[in-house]
Amino acid sequence: MLVIFGASGDLTRRKLFPALYAMAYRNLLPDPFAVVGTARTELENDEFRAQMEEAVREHARDPFRDDVWERLMECSHYVATDFADDRGLDALVALLNDLDERRGTNGNRIHYLAVPPAAFETIVEQVGERRGREGWTRLIVEKPFGHDLASARSLDEHIHRWFAEEEIFRIDHYLGKETVQNLLALRFANGIFEPIWNRQFIDHVEITVAESIGIEGRGDFYEQAGAIRDIFQNHLLQLLAVTAMEPPIDFTAESVRNEKVKVLRSIHTPGPKHVVRGQYGRGFVEGEEAPAYREEEGVAPDSTTETFVAAKLFVDNWRWADTPFYVRVGKRLPKRETTVAIEFQRAPHPPFAELAGDGLEPNVLIVHIQPNEGVTLEIGAKVPGQGMAIRTVNMDFLYGGAFRTSLPEAYERLILDAMLGDATLFTRSDEVEEQWALDAVVATWQRDRPSFPNYAAGTWGPKPAHDLVARDGRRWRRR
Amino acid sequence: MAASVGEIERELAELREEAPEGGAWLRTSVLTHVAWAPPEWREAAEDALAGLAERHPSRTILLVPEPDADEDALAAAVDLRCFSAPGQEHHVCSEVIEVRLRGRRAVAPASVVAPLLLVDLPAFLRWRGEPPWGDGAFDGLVDLVDRLIVDSTEWEGELPPRYAELARLFDRVAVSDVAWARTTRWRTALASMWPGIGGVRRLRVTATPAQAHLLAGWLRSRLGRDDLELEIEPAEKLVGVEVDGEPAPFPPGDPPHPSDVLSDELDRFGRDRVYEDAVRAVR
Repeated sequence: MLVIFGASGDLTRRKLFPALYAMAYRNLLPDPFAVVGTARTELENDEFRAQMEEAVREHARDPFRDDVWERLMECSHYVATDFADDRGLDALVALLNDLDERRGTNGNRIHYLAVPPAAFETIVEQVGERRGREGWTRLIVEKPFGHDLASARSLDEHIHRWFAEEEIFRIDHYLGKETVQNLLALRFANGIFEPIWNRQFIDHVEITVAESIGIEGRGDFYEQAGAIRDIFQNHLLQLLAVTAMEPPIDFTAESVRNEKVKVLRSIHTPGPKHVVRGQYGRGFVEGEEAPAYREEEGVAPDSTTETFVAAKLFVDNWRWADTPFYVRVGKRLPKRETTVAIEFQRAPHPPFAELAGDGLEPNVLIVHIQPNEGVTLEIGAKVPGQGMAIRTVNMDFLYGGAFRTSLPEAYERLILDAMLGDATLFTRSDEVEEQWALDAVVATWQRDRPSFPNYAAGTWGPKPAHDLVARDGRRWRRR
Repeated sequence: MAASVGEIERELAELREEAPEGGAWLRTSVLTHVAWAPPEWREAAEDALAGLAERHPSRTILLVPEPDADEDALAAAVDLRCFSAPGQEHHVCSEVIEVRLRGRRAVAPASVVAPLLLVDLPAFLRWRGEPPWGDGAFDGLVDLVDRLIVDSTEWEGELPPRYAELARLFDRVAVSDVAWARTTRWRTALASMWPGIGGVRRLRVTATPAQAHLLAGWLRSRLGRDDLELEIEPAEKLVGVEVDGEPAPFPPGDPPHPSDVLSDELDRFGRDRVYEDAVRAVR
């Protein structure tokens, strides 16, 4: 039984129910199964179902089919309750027990915390106190997991009072994306890449998590989080870990996470010279005028919250020593795109360097995580005709098209994995702790007042971000 | 009709899936070609595009500004043009995106183009007509691309000050000029007159004013002399050159087709210093 706390919220509407519908569409939901939504909002069952139908029609990747929807609705329920109210929670538990009997779900529970972080501890305690003896219980926790190292540890201790580590599924939906998993397949299922996947053959790695949108009305949240806590500390570091990790001995949760955590431990905390932060001012995105961050609703007019972070990171281990990982995240950048680019060393002695002119570029392997999942290999090729002119050719492997099927949404994969008890694509507590090592960077920011805004909406961030790479004789890739 | 960059990408992805079997998901590209084509230039721009895709598998972004439209909106049509490679089973596909920039969406076209550029590949901007020197829309696009391609034959009025404006861009972007490319055969013919041509005093050129100025500028800069006089006999194309009253030998061959000229310019990388010197020597 899947219990969604925060069932009247945006995440449930945009992601969770469309994911459940996609699973029902493909007959991937277990049988027996039930989903119970709960939130403070007073709604009747029928009202909740009507809202979810609207959400599925708007956000699902599959066409709407009445028979599939009827099947899903037949096992969907809603309970309005205040999470801190004992009587409300008792009523919820009574419904769950009743459904267990009626549907035969045997006390197996997944509690999905799709609520703001402030509500985590209360719900965990209420659920923990009422957990039954029959079946298994799992807890899915949305990011952010704490707001710094101390709060992450405190939350972790709190949850561990009622739940064992193997029952906790900390979600980072980036790990549910097909291309992130394909990065693992690319590295470890192909003999040609792994031998050259190291400092000897790779000049540098570049990871970009770019969003063209602003904060979309989430001013209160973003003022507290900023780019470093919203994206950098979790999604970006997970991408880096998957890119840089050693081959796991197998694809079990523990093996994969053991290797990822080693990478996170090896990241050298960057000094102030290796980190650039920025905040967008007015500009144009897709031809449309965009307001400055400080003009957004819920944002202080003198806010120093960063909407952009670029950094030069080093993974201090045998494989990656001295290989820079240039990373950047930001809002109101020219386009929405998440990519991992591996730039290989230049050919040591191209015999036609003088003839080829400006066309000689190093090989680059680009893994596109979103929005168009795929892989691009940049190779130098001779221009047909006389002479020996060389130019870069992009060979694009478009992931969705190759298999002639639409790709599953990250949440489909992750919810299904949680149902199966497979935590490979979820974050372990020691990974979270290592990710919060970035606290040291944030601490240095408390001491100065940056000159914000320092980049226009619709551009690739402030000039110092370009200088960060240019100082090393390199440049950010053109997106 | 797509109304956002996201919709354009989605429609392209769908087109690729519908494209000829066996090749749609493998895209090969060598450049992004951006063409600024106000409505009066659209037909000519389409003509130049014909045949280009076969030689340069690319993404073409045709920008049609409509600043006087009633609404502020993007309206984009996407097309996948696939060609059979001679003697092979696979297809070469090029993507053509025509974006109408309506109302205030024409103010900052670079912000529309930036998300559509192909990753890492060179980007070329073909600007139809005379560029609006110093205008934000033009400057934004210039800073986005590797090469600006103009045809100074399309400019009207006194040319020397316009070439001076163009020369100010040389340190920001590599520049090609179709008018210059069309003088290539004649420059070869004039060079064959060396060393006699070294003492030339007067040049009479029957051509477009742009071609005449560029030929004279080229001779001045190559010879290191500023005292060369130019007399222009206006014509629709370059048909004759007299050097101190003597006709220069007529070069062999036919003038190239517009798409061939554009195609050749798309093969160029880096700055053309000879052209830059010629532009700076226009008087």
